[in-house]
Amino acid sequence: MSDAFIFDALRTPRGRGKTNGSLYEVKPLDLLGTALEKLRLRNQLDTKEVDDAIIGCVTPTDDQGFNIAKAALIHAGWHQNVGGLTINRFCASGLEAVNLAAAKIKIGWSDLMVAGGLESMSRVPMGSDAGPLMYDPELINRADYIPQGISADLIATIEGFSREDVDAFALNSHQRAAEAMQAGYFAKSLVPIYDRSGLLILDHDEYARPDTDATILQRLRPSFAATGALGFDEMALHKYPLVEKINHVHTAGNSSGIVDAAAVVLMGSKEKGHALGLKPRARILSIGNASVEPTLMLTGPGPAAQQALHHAKMQSKDIDLWECNEAFAAVVLKFQRDLNIPHERLNVNGGAIAMGHPLGATGAILIGTLLDEMERRDVQTGLVTLCVGGGMGVATIIERI
Amino acid sequence: MIYYKKDTDNIVTLTLDMKGRPRNVINHEIFEAFVPVLEQLKADKKRGALKGVILTSGKKTFLAGGDLDYLYQTNDPAEVFAFCEKMKKFLRDLESPGVAVVAALNGSAIATGFEVALACHHRIAVDDRRIVLGLPEVELGLIPGGGGIVRLMWLLGIEKANHIVSSGQLYSPQEALRVGIIDDLAPNQKEMLEMAKDWLLNNKESRRPWDKSGERIPGGSAKDALVADFIRAEAARLAAKTHHNYPAPQAILNVLSEGSKVDFDTAERIESRYYTQLVMSKQCKNMIKAFWFDSNYIRHGLNRPRGFGKFRPKKVGVIGAGGMMGSGIAYACLRNGLDVVMKDVSKLIAERGREYVRNKLNPLVQSGEMSSAERDQLLKRIITTEDPREFETCDLVIEAVFENAMVKQKVTKEAEAFMDEYSFMASNTISIPITKLAEVSMRPDNYVGLHFFHPADEVPLVEIVRGARTSEETVARAFDFVKAIKKTPIIVKDDWGFYAARVQNTFILEGITMLKEGYPPALIENLGRQAGMPKGALALADDLGLNLVLNYERQAGEHYGPKYIPHPAVEALDKMLQEFTRPGRNKKAGFYEYTEDGQRHLWPELSTHFGPQLSAFERQELIDRLLISQVLEAVWCMQEGVINSIAAANLGSIYGWGFPAFKGGTIQYIADYGLEAFVARCKYLREKHGSRFRVPKKLKELVKETELVGDLLGMNS
Repeated sequence: MSDAFIFDALRTPRGRGKTNGSLYEVKPLDLLGTALEKLRLRNQLDTKEVDDAIIGCVTPTDDQGFNIAKAALIHAGWHQNVGGLTINRFCASGLEAVNLAAAKIKIGWSDLMVAGGLESMSRVPMGSDAGPLMYDPELINRADYIPQGISADLIATIEGFSREDVDAFALNSHQRAAEAMQAGYFAKSLVPIYDRSGLLILDHDEYARPDTDATILQRLRPSFAATGALGFDEMALHKYPLVEKINHVHTAGNSSGIVDAAAVVLMGSKEKGHALGLKPRARILSIGNASVEPTLMLTGPGPAAQQALHHAKMQSKDIDLWECNEAFAAVVLKFQRDLNIPHERLNVNGGAIAMGHPLGATGAILIGTLLDEMERRDVQTGLVTLCVGGGMGVATIIERI
Repeated sequence: MIYYKKDTDNIVTLTLDMKGRPRNVINHEIFEAFVPVLEQLKADKKRGALKGVILTSGKKTFLAGGDLDYLYQTNDPAEVFAFCEKMKKFLRDLESPGVAVVAALNGSAIATGFEVALACHHRIAVDDRRIVLGLPEVELGLIPGGGGIVRLMWLLGIEKANHIVSSGQLYSPQEALRVGIIDDLAPNQKEMLEMAKDWLLNNKESRRPWDKSGERIPGGSAKDALVADFIRAEAARLAAKTHHNYPAPQAILNVLSEGSKVDFDTAERIESRYYTQLVMSKQCKNMIKAFWFDSNYIRHGLNRPRGFGKFRPKKVGVIGAGGMMGSGIAYACLRNGLDVVMKDVSKLIAERGREYVRNKLNPLVQSGEMSSAERDQLLKRIITTEDPREFETCDLVIEAVFENAMVKQKVTKEAEAFMDEYSFMASNTISIPITKLAEVSMRPDNYVGLHFFHPADEVPLVEIVRGARTSEETVARAFDFVKAIKKTPIIVKDDWGFYAARVQNTFILEGITMLKEGYPPALIENLGRQAGMPKGALALADDLGLNLVLNYERQAGEHYGPKYIPHPAVEALDKMLQEFTRPGRNKKAGFYEYTEDGQRHLWPELSTHFGPQLSAFERQELIDRLLISQVLEAVWCMQEGVINSIAAANLGSIYGWGFPAFKGGTIQYIADYGLEAFVARCKYLREKHGSRFRVPKKLKELVKETELVGDLLGMNS
């Protein structure tokens, strides 16, 4: 079996995912289209050579509906040979796209692929595709299915993470992100967004607030207490009756931000890369998929990472750098505790708490961010993982060439 | 059965008047009778000789609901579904003769009866407060099956329909107009028919909203974001309130959610499928048993001593009327047409009772349910006083003073001095034997216990405590009084805690025992609520006060003498009271700690004082212990004659302390569990946890008596 290699990874900046965000005026088609266009230019790619493009998108409706992957390929003028597949594994969609592409390449049924993700949360708000897990009252009550923020608060309650703990983690994320941005660590993979006349719209992650300090974080009110009081807190206790009450520790400051972005990764076999003059930067060592109890929901990264380690015959100490998506601070703290990960190797350049989490795109963004940092530090192995709605987790281990 | 009359304007009036029945009901008979009538209407329409139809009733009521005997017995989903669909077909035919139909509601229309009215284009009711309208099916673990949910959704939108159907509320005509389930009010029957005719003559539309293309559900369907958000929040509210124990309100929400996304007829079929599933459910059977059969048993006075004429109280005296309990009792009496003398230690304090009543009435005036003149009239029927002389004209006097034998006896003597031998004296006590209180009574045969539950104007149960010397006639009169104020009377023996407090106490003691065994207190509280109890055992202990909880158990010890086996919880209660001085909510320290803002949290030190701490647990076993401990105590109460009927035991448990209604009450619980399975479970619990799970002899006899051995109904197959 051959190896699946990463040749390139890039992303757009993350715009605030609201109507006051810089990328709100940019339609999702252009966001993904720009990323594809830049990937083609940067690699002088003859797109005829690409077999398929898999794009993760969590809310594939409206401006992101009707197979946005294929739509963006046509829009970007890619060759008709390139197919487009839109997939949804909630927040890990972008990483799942990478993993599926890797699997196809490894087995030899594809030679060159694009994997990536897209989410314009300002244009297509989360949940606007209105599926049963969001809105079917029978399912919601049969499963005691609660909003993610309350799941995160439940994790904090069960694990004993206090408001101070999650805020401290968040502060660190804000600081690390600020330093990394200042030092230009993200510049290599970040492609600015210009308008149709070539005028700049956005060239940096605008959600980040480098001046965030402990006092600011402390002042923020819990985001999910009111929703919990509707009845969702009590639903959580159906599954976790050892808990007296949910400690609502998560706020806008220690949860991931709502943003717009797209990211793409160029992947393929060694032979194909050689033939097209593409230089492999890393290979996919293994992947992991986990599914866990859906009310607690966000504990998937631990078992997913364990599975990936197992497939790669590695142990947690063999990983040089870790990226666990900062959907909520408690998710990462729980993951860190599960795998006993030193803080200085985990999310070293901050994460979604500081810079935002563009749902379907995040997994692909993290692959690029991790690979850039592995190269900068000259270390060999890295693992990316994300927690996933419905109670799932996805992980990927990469190794530099 | 259906009288057809056409006037010169081509308006047909159909009058329902089923022969040989006091009321019109919906059954196969009426469907059959309607077939030729509907044919006739179609023929009339074809000839251009039909302008409109008025549907009314020749009885006092318009139309009653479905056949609960049948729904209780049936175990045939295909038959239920077919009947449901047949009813819907009938209502579809009724609403589509090509002209509009007006329901002229001259009397009450509830459940299926009201669904027929909903299948008419326009509803007018006579403005008479004795008329009730609505869809109360949810109270019996059911939902409307005749398209009621879907029609209300189309008429009023999802949010309102959900509220109306899942609250099960019955409305007076005025309230019905306000919530929008009827369209107009008429001062009397004659004018109602004229108004109906006027409306028909001015109306051009013969289609219902759901039959017109392009018409939308008011407020939108579940595809609209705001509506979807409402449904989601409502699902959460429901889950938090019912802990998934009540499938009927869930089904209502599901029907609205699913039904709003499809066409009317498909939505109706979805409703039929949920309806059928509910009719087959144990919860529905249990609730029909409790709230229909058991309730009728008590309503018909089958427990009331026989041979005494009906007592019709006009005027009630309340001692301690300035207090919460006294005010509540007085309010319940006033609302049901009785005059009230409110006495307390001073007229000023007695006036607090009047204030209480005023504060309860004002919101009714604000909401339009009552006019301010009516309120003032009611308030005028209160006499406040400090002088027992006012009791001279009372038919009964209830004392609700401080729980102290001396004080109670003192006010009794004062009152009795002015009461005659045709009136009776009642004591509202929770823990002092009536026989003891009656010792000083001038007329101990006219002395009885009337145990109201807090809040007295809301809890629909009163325990009638028969003291050693209470006469049968006094019990009968007390029974009639309780019925007169529209509460459920249950007659109990003068043993400690009577029925309700005694059985409820076993729930508390079981919870405390779990704490002693090392189960985390949060677990005990959560599982108590999830089992269907209104609050956790420890919270309840705090609210009652740990001294009272212990006192009941001490009284049990005295009662049984050498045969008494101490409850394992006693040791823990002693510890809480003696060692930690935490007697409960009153002193802001019990199993919970209390903050200034009225919140409470489990006392963090509980885990260190009781244990060793367990974190592994068998959910079902703990839930079974919490409920079965109560069930067995209820059976002991039956065996010892503390309570005399299954109906009283079931309803007393649901109304008295909130034993889960979806289980049908303490005795019905056994049928729900299945007799053999229940006995086996008790044996297991007894071996593991002690003799308090011993099964009383009476048990098997009881279950036979209920005629509800689960297997007979196929409920446990």
